[in-house]
Amino acid sequence: MARRSLAVLVMLALPFLAAAAPFRGGALDPPRPAPDFALQRPDGSQFRLSGHRGKVVVMSFGYTFCPDVCPTTLAEFAQIRARLGAAEKDVRFVFITVDPERDNPQRVRAYTEAFDRSFIGLTGSAEQLEVVRKAYGVTAHKRVVAGTSAAYLVDHSALIYVVDREGRLRLLFPFGTSVDDMTHDIRLLTGR
Amino acid sequence: MPRHCLTSRIVLWTLLAVLSTAPALAHDPAIAITNPWARRAPGGHGHSQDANGAVYMTIANRGTAADAVVSATSDAAKVVELHEVRNEGGVMAMRPLERFVLPAGGTLEMKPGGYHVMLLGLTRDLHAGDTVKVTLTFEKAAPMTVEAPVR
Repeated sequence: MARRSLAVLVMLALPFLAAAAPFRGGALDPPRPAPDFALQRPDGSQFRLSGHRGKVVVMSFGYTFCPDVCPTTLAEFAQIRARLGAAEKDVRFVFITVDPERDNPQRVRAYTEAFDRSFIGLTGSAEQLEVVRKAYGVTAHKRVVAGTSAAYLVDHSALIYVVDREGRLRLLFPFGTSVDDMTHDIRLLTGR
Repeated sequence: MPRHCLTSRIVLWTLLAVLSTAPALAHDPAIAITNPWARRAPGGHGHSQDANGAVYMTIANRGTAADAVVSATSDAAKVVELHEVRNEGGVMAMRPLERFVLPAGGTLEMKPGGYHVMLLGLTRDLHAGDTVKVTLTFEKAAPMTVEAPVR
């Protein structure tokens, strides 16, 4: 029940995301528990969100076939990490695939590591990934499109989700939010 | 013929011969391309299967007739396509385009989340500091090659 209402909240909140002092990005007010999940890291070990209490977890959803939006987000993550300085120790950057058909662990690792070796790329079964997407209100649709050599493309929402050190979903950054603003808000959550 | 006339004729024709073998990087006076750059990406062999990349630039059509980019090639990918990303209520949808229209006197700005030249099937990793060559074919203007630094 709580999971579904969070996803609905995210979908409804999208048009109304507004800065709530002291944050510059879209803040969830009040914060809600971030739905827990367990997905697979490239080395085969499990990543469980609730196992990262004490860290700020910054999450994006995308696919490695994507040449533009997803690399841009990862490049922004790299810039945020650099600007955080010492505070980066308390932040984890996560990329979750919406394209399990193509995105095996090695592919995801190569993709994230092109930007930063500390980034965590997660895969899982189609079912597991769909559960996580539903919990977070993430849209992802496979599209077969004429006029490209690509077998298919994936339309997907491009929100960045930020979970605080207590495991609560605190911030939602739409694609295009400035690196300055995201760094500012994430730093606040680290408490440094 | 007086000697100085012959010399200057030889100089003139030599000059013309040299100028006519202008470098492959042709320049069309109507089209100005600025700020080319490419996104870093894994690719090549041993890392992952075919990976893709994106190249961005600003194209100004300073001419009095509309033109268009109709295709492109690159030294870093097997296939190159023209794409646009549309933000449809928060959902990012990438679609191929047959052309990038360049209105007379207009400017096309390619940037993340919008228009880009898509490299499909990278033949090498694109590391920050590398350079990617992209050759654009236009409907009217002569082809142009740009060198895009990787970021």
